[in-house]
This record gives sequence, C-alpha cells and structure tokens, in this order.
Amino acid sequence: MAELRRDPKQAWKPWQPSTSQPWDLRRAAHLLRRAEFGTPIRELEVCVKAGYSKTVDRVFSVAPSVAFDQSMQSMEKALSSSQDPRQLAVWWLLRMVQTPCQLLEKTTLFWHGHFATSADKVLNSRAMLRQIEWLRAHALGHFEPMVQGISQDVAMLIYLDSEENRKTRPNENYARELMELFCLGPGNYSEKDIKELARCFTGWEIRRGNFRFNQHQHDHAEKILLGQRGNFTGEQAIHVVLDQPSTAGFIARKLVRFFVLDDRELSDELIQPLADQLRENDFDIRDTLKTILTSQLFFADDTIGQKVKSPVEMAVGLLRALGVQADLNQLSDQLLALGHLPLYPPNVKGWGGGREWINASTFLGRANLVYKIANQENSQFSRGSISKAVNALPKMDPEIWIRKLVEAYVAVPLPGDTMHQLIELGSAKRRNLNQRVADVVCAIGATPEYQLN
Amino acid sequence: MVTRRKMIQATFGGAALITAGAAAPPFLWGASRQASQKSDEKILVVIQLSGGNDGLNTVIPYANDEYYRNRFTLAIDKAQVAKIDDEIGWHPALSGFARLLDEGQLSVVQGVGYPNPNRSHFESMDLWHTAHRNTKEFPRGWLGRCVDAHLSGELPAIHYGGERQPLALTTRTKPVASIQSLDQFRLRLGDHQPLSQGIATNLTKQRSHSDDLLGFIHENASMAMTTSGKLESILSASDAMKRYPETSLGKKLAAVSQLIESGLPTRIYYVTHDGFDTHANQAAAHAALLQQLGDATQAFNEDLKNKGHAERTLLMTFSEFGRRVRENASRGTDHGTAAPLFLAGGRLKAGPLNQHPDMSDLDQGDLKFTVDYRRVYAAVLEDWLGVDSSEILGRSFEKLDLFI
Repeated sequence: MAELRRDPKQAWKPWQPSTSQPWDLRRAAHLLRRAEFGTPIRELEVCVKAGYSKTVDRVFSVAPSVAFDQSMQSMEKALSSSQDPRQLAVWWLLRMVQTPCQLLEKTTLFWHGHFATSADKVLNSRAMLRQIEWLRAHALGHFEPMVQGISQDVAMLIYLDSEENRKTRPNENYARELMELFCLGPGNYSEKDIKELARCFTGWEIRRGNFRFNQHQHDHAEKILLGQRGNFTGEQAIHVVLDQPSTAGFIARKLVRFFVLDDRELSDELIQPLADQLRENDFDIRDTLKTILTSQLFFADDTIGQKVKSPVEMAVGLLRALGVQADLNQLSDQLLALGHLPLYPPNVKGWGGGREWINASTFLGRANLVYKIANQENSQFSRGSISKAVNALPKMDPEIWIRKLVEAYVAVPLPGDTMHQLIELGSAKRRNLNQRVADVVCAIGATPEYQLN
Repeated sequence: MVTRRKMIQATFGGAALITAGAAAPPFLWGASRQASQKSDEKILVVIQLSGGNDGLNTVIPYANDEYYRNRFTLAIDKAQVAKIDDEIGWHPALSGFARLLDEGQLSVVQGVGYPNPNRSHFESMDLWHTAHRNTKEFPRGWLGRCVDAHLSGELPAIHYGGERQPLALTTRTKPVASIQSLDQFRLRLGDHQPLSQGIATNLTKQRSHSDDLLGFIHENASMAMTTSGKLESILSASDAMKRYPETSLGKKLAAVSQLIESGLPTRIYYVTHDGFDTHANQAAAHAALLQQLGDATQAFNEDLKNKGHAERTLLMTFSEFGRRVRENASRGTDHGTAAPLFLAGGRLKAGPLNQHPDMSDLDQGDLKFTVDYRRVYAAVLEDWLGVDSSEILGRSFEKLDLFI
C-alpha cells in the first residue's frame, strides 16, 4: 500500500470498495473526519448502510439550508458591530458545529489558514467577517477570483501593513507574501520580482474602511515581473503570478497536506496529476478536492490516521460526535492556548499542522479539553445525555458500546491493554452510566491514538 | 519502612500527584540533589526576536550621515542616542542593555548574517534554526542536534512559551519539552482517581511503535506526564515575579530563572519575543519591543547574579534578519539582512566585539554581513556548552572569541 504514494498514476484513481477494503464504519468515519468535522455514531451508521457513492454525494452536494443561513446572518450582523473579534471566533466555531455544509466550512478553514490573517492585529470584527465570508463564497470555487478579492480585502491589507502604497518606496510586504505564501512558494521568484510586484500594487489603499485605487499614487511605468514586461496594474500582476507553472502544484500540495497526509514527504511527481487537473479546469477547487477525497491514496490503509488532529478538528469533532452544546467561550480560550483559535493564526504562514500540534504542553491541554467537553456541568446533549449520544444502555455489556465508540472515533487501533483499561472504566461499580461514558471518553481523549485524524 | 525509591514510585508512578496538584517536594527527584550543591553546569538561554529586528535602530550608527539620509522619519536623533563609542549607541529604549554593558555583562556582535541572504521570514528563520542551507536535508535544529549528541538525562532543554516549538529544538530521539505556562502544564480531570490513574499508567508505559508519528505523540505524552508534577512545584513559588517587568518576556525569563534555581539539569532554555516585523509605523512599536527586551534581560541578569547563576548562564538573542537600510513609505522598514546579535552573562568579553557594517557598501539596499552566524554558534557550542561544533554545524566554523 505504501507504493501508492510512489505511484502518481494509481494514487489519484477513484477508490472503490472491495472485499479487502470494504466500505465500513472505519472508512466512513475516515471520510467524514477529513472532509467534514466528524459525525455522530448514528449518522455514521446511516452512511455505512447507504453505501459509498451515496455518502460521497452527501459530502459534495449538501445544499445550504435557508433557515440555517438566515439564523447565522442575523448573528453575524450583531457580531460584526461588536468590538471584540473573539466573539466572532466563537461564532465561527458554532457555525462549524452546526452547518449542514460541512465540507464547505472545512475548506473555508483551510483557506483561512492559507490566507492567514489575524484579528489580533486587524482588530476589526467587520473586516474579519467580510474576509471569512469572501473565503467561504469562493472556498469550493475558482482560485483566481479568490486571490484577486483577497488582495483587495481590508483585513488582509491591514494585516500586511498595506493600508497605503505610494509609488515612491513601495512597501514590499504584500508582494512578498503573495508569491511566497499564497501562490508560488519559496524559490519560484526573485527579490527583484518582489520589488517589481510591489510597484504594481502602488496606489492600492484603504480609505474610510474600504479598498480604493488611488491612481495618483500608482506607478504607471513599465515593470518586469517574472520574466514578463508590461505596465501592469495590480490585477494584471496577480494574473501574471497565478499563471506561473508552480502555482497549481503549490496549491495542490497544500490541499493534500490539509486533507490527506501531513507527516510524509510528498514528491512533485505525486502532486503533478492534481496540479494538471487544477490547470486544466481553471483552478476549480471542488473538482480537484473531489479527486483527492475519493482517491485510492485517500482510502489506503496507511493514510487512515496518518494526520494529527488539529485542535479545532478535535474540539468541533467531539462536539458533533456527542451532539453536545458546550460553553464555546471557554472552549475558545482553550483553543487559543493550544494555538488554534480561528481568526488568530500565529503569523501570515498560518498553521503548520502535523507534528507542530503536539508537544508536552499541548498534549495535556488536549486531554483537558476533551475532559471539559464531556464533563461540563452546563454541557447539553441533544439526545439528552452523553450515554444516549453514544448509544450506551444501562444493561448493555460496556464492551459493546466502547468498541463501537473506539471504532468510530479513534482512527487507528488501540493497544490491548488500553482497551482493557477503557472497559474497566466503563464497567466501574458505583459510577452511573453517564459518568462511566464520560470517563471512557476522557480516557480515549488522552490516548496518543486519539490525537490522530 | 518506606524507602525513598518506593516513595518516588508512589508519587510519580500513580497519578495522585498530577491530579491533586500536590507539589512534589524538591528532594524527590534526582536532579535536585544538585540543587543544594549548586550545579556548575553551564546554561544557555536563547531569546528569539521574531519578525526581523531592525538592527540599525537598535545599535545606532549615529556618527554616520548615511543613517540619517536613509531613515528620514525613523532615525533616532543624535542627542537621544545612548552612546557606546564614537560611532554607535543604543536606541534610547534600550536602557537595560546600556546598563548591562556598563556592568560588563553584555557583548555586541555586529553585522551578523550569512551569504546569499534569504529575506523570507520563514526560510531565513529555518536557516538560523537548523544552521544549514538545505533545511530539508537537515530537519533537526542546531540545538536539537546538540541535545541528541551530547546532552542525555532528563529535560536537557526546555522551550518556555505558547508558540509552536521552534525548529531549533527539533531532536531525532527524545523530544524537547515545551511548557506553555504553569497553568497549562497539568492534567485536570476531576477527582475520579481511577480515571487519572489509568491515563497516567497508560501513557508512562514504555511502548515500541512501528508507527513513527504515533511514537512521537506517545513520547511527548509520556514526558508531559512525568514532568508536569515536578515543574508545578518549582513554578508555584510566589515571589517569582519580584523585580521583573510585568511583560510577556519578563514573565518568561522569571520562569526560566526559577527553573535554573530549582537545580534542574536543563542546559538549554528557549523563549521568543515576537512583533519585530515592522513594515509600517515602526517607531513606537519597535521602541516598546526594545524596552521590553532590555528591561527583562537586565532584570534576569540581576536576578541570576543574586542567586549565583550569572557566571554559568549565557543569554543570546538573535533575529531571522535585520531590515532594509532605507525606510519605506509607510514609516516602516522592509526585510533586510545583517543585524547585531547580543550576548549577556558574567563571563563575556563585554562591549562591541567588532565594527558596524559599512553603510555605504550595500547589496540591493541591504547591509553586507561581516560575521557568519554559525561562527557565533560555534563559539557557544565549543566554548560554552563544551561540545564539538563541526558535527552539529555540518562543518567547522572559525569560532568568535567571546569569553574571558
């Protein structure tokens, strides 16, 4: 199976269930952990029954619910006039938990990490909200309109010190990050290109909270950008950048790292078919993402569980799995401490992911977070209790619900003695069923295996 | 009779300590025997200045007209500069450094950089962290490699802070501990003993993993479990912040000082001070950062002197690059190249160790470096930590003459 990573031709071919790789709870859970934020056991079982292709359809074609969008919009409106962008982050977490359009929300989080902008510096809820809305509107659309828009986005320009760009001595910050972090990757442009691109962005500024082109400050003279000559405007220059051969591979690799594997070296050859698809389809993100999430490589045994859960994936996934409404304000504090609160990326490179999520401090913090969610006094379970959320019944042999729980929520097998411990916790005398279920959930949360996605 | 060994097992083998939050008496752990004898092992404390510190507005070439020509709004007025000699002086916010220099506790290495400078934050930071140009081939950090090869034992290095662990500390074998804060560094799982006990037993058990990633997570989990109780007892001392500025860096260095005083066998501490990417409206932000840096460092040095650790503790700052000589139109500066690096401690050759880079001989508007950063690393590794530098740095670098 390891060969798939070295076989670009085969890796991205469509996967089909077979006797050796059946469509079962494990693979359904894998797809819904990666493409979405996780799913309650009951819903997972429905997906297994419905079959693979129906589940893929479900993932890729959920229509937005009008009622949901309306309730979100009125909340957003109230929040964007609030001075504290932290509330906006809390709202976004809620949206991740509740939205029926899970893939869209997950991909929006991906782009937020890609075009990382921190409210810590922007300090403007309205501008942050507008940016996230822009990213969501284009998350599964085409790359160029998304980049053109983000380049004139108020929050982005504030974040990268580009509120004004004068033709004498232009500020290089945005030009540099556009090529290094957003489109091309390091090594695919020169310092001279950065200076030339910065000239193209002169005259771009923010006035009274909106983007404005100030033609008096624009450098109208000729530029030589990435080997091309022209009196490029900012928009034309972005097109020149996006037209570089390295763009498609850079974006495809990032998608694979976010959705498939983030702990392995991925060769250029492996990424190439996806890059080709992006270029051929006008950088249609949904199209390429569908290839990725339905591929043989995606469902390979050694892909399952070969990613570290991000703190947001962990928290939102657990809230969804248990159908629990927890105190999201408190949760947002914990996510900030774990380094992964939406709207607060560490820097313009966004979240690195993978092993970066794990160190001694964050491991303890992650275990504490699971405990808080499962035990909070004011947590409300939509099915009434934590035991109902995991289908545990008082007279049932605990081993039954524990094995199901582990199969659904732990991506790789637990060692025998860990299983034994869980069953002991789940059968403890003098603990009621809800306490026992919460104990087992906490103990699972503190296993190294649970940290994998 | 309860033997000492049994008592240790009872305390650390179970989870009672961790969940109840009870402080471990310092005598309970091996390293503390050294505490009473005052370990004399040398210690390195690294302060990473993230974002690219503007060296020209840190150590100011106030006698040079080129400086004033290029820094039309950002230049520090000659009268404001705290003079070091006839050529250079401190930014007025760096009174902490000025004082350290007066006391013979600070040295300045000017024009530190490397050939073919990379002006990307992330690429250049990786170079400083790995000490290698091809960071893909050398995924471990320079300090991580030092830990792997030379520092065995418990907690050889500690990263104190909430950001992700710096690449400089990436090891091949046992991971380095990142400690965000005292508050974060413990399990809080309520009062049901079997739960916490079960988790502690499960995580501290030795396991062999065929799976590399899972093994990495387990190593970190296991280390977290065995050290959280110990560190808690050290960091809960109440007078810790006395004499330190109430800033983020002040708090970090206060914690590091406590950890040193506790007798931990740790040889390397690493903290970061972020915010130096001053592309726009630099003046006030940069002054505040320098003030925090100078004041916290000075308080740290003072504290270590009082505790008797100043002679064995070396503090080193670095930033991924300096900034462009000419300021931009946003009253800020763009990414540049060479910049000064500072060392503080009791055994240094104090003062500026070399000349300021030539302001009239620039490369694409940036200063040319005069000292390769790996020459500083070589000196720190060889003459301070006492280990062979050529293996860690990939080849031998002529080390700077830093110490008396």
